[in-house]
Amino acid sequence: MSAYKFDRIKVLIVDDNLHMRKMLATIVQAFGVTSIYEAPNGVQAWDQLRKNNPDIIFLDWMMPGMTGLEFTRMVRTSPDCPNPYVSIIMVTGYTQLEHVHLARDAGVTEFLAKPISANTVLARVTAVIENPRAFVRTPDYFGPCRRRRHDENYEGPERRGTGTPKGRKDQSAQTENRGAP
Amino acid sequence: MTDKPIEIFTPPNTLKAKVGGGSGGKPTLDMSAIKRAEQALETLKSEFGDWIAADVQMLLSSRDAFIAEPTAERQGDLYRASHDLRGQARTFEFPLVERVAASLCRLLDAPTAVKALPLVDAHVGAIRVIVRDNIKDRMNATASTLAKELETRVTEFLTQT
Repeated sequence: MSAYKFDRIKVLIVDDNLHMRKMLATIVQAFGVTSIYEAPNGVQAWDQLRKNNPDIIFLDWMMPGMTGLEFTRMVRTSPDCPNPYVSIIMVTGYTQLEHVHLARDAGVTEFLAKPISANTVLARVTAVIENPRAFVRTPDYFGPCRRRRHDENYEGPERRGTGTPKGRKDQSAQTENRGAP
Repeated sequence: MTDKPIEIFTPPNTLKAKVGGGSGGKPTLDMSAIKRAEQALETLKSEFGDWIAADVQMLLSSRDAFIAEPTAERQGDLYRASHDLRGQARTFEFPLVERVAASLCRLLDAPTAVKALPLVDAHVGAIRVIVRDNIKDRMNATASTLAKELETRVTEFLTQT
């Protein structure tokens, strides 16, 4: 495997806790990232996002004022966002499935549980590089496809539309109709 | 049932285009990058004592503010301080702080936590003592007994309310 050239990407770290920001910055810097921006809250993060257009955002869930979920929804839906497809890695102490679902429904790309380590951070970064998610736009949602994996062998009903799931390839700009709920 | 249009599309993978490399198949981790990061974190360890002391100080001031004015906003502030400790204490090598902070988060998750101020205070006091006495052993008899007792009291409180 050839190494990633991390010096070509920009990373934004959003966390109200200075220590967590420092730890994450230390880890991604060691990976080779040189353009690292930090913000302690959603408002400053939004400014950084518009100014620097990062490739990956590490985002805390619990912040005073705008929460990580609210920030994610803003990134995905605001017409002022420079890149609504930006990879968002939610960093949180929440590990219950319901929280994972909430994060996923808000448009988070990956989920990184605390305590973090160099291993887990690189695993999530690798995941957003190697396995980009398809995006979905519905009247109620815009963000990464909430189906984590596409199963080529799935033979059940296509609940999202009327098309056949088997053999479905790249779904670029595909439009479907919602079938069963 | 109304038909609502759903658009599914794959944006260009600009991230992959920028970083290049990778396995081209099943992703594998770059062990040299991990090693560099672990070494960098090792150098940070000397600061962990100061960091957890600062986080505990934030917890204490949030506790004081909540007890003086037990509003939902102050409860939220205390929850965040506790949540930070829950997420980072193990990294800072204080696993029992993580455990007690998790119990405190569970208590503060309840809107009725304002009725259990002594129990809130007991959690904060336990965390302060564990850090003050530098108890890093998860099996420390006194501290783990205290943690278990706090967890039991929280369960009892949440059952009653």
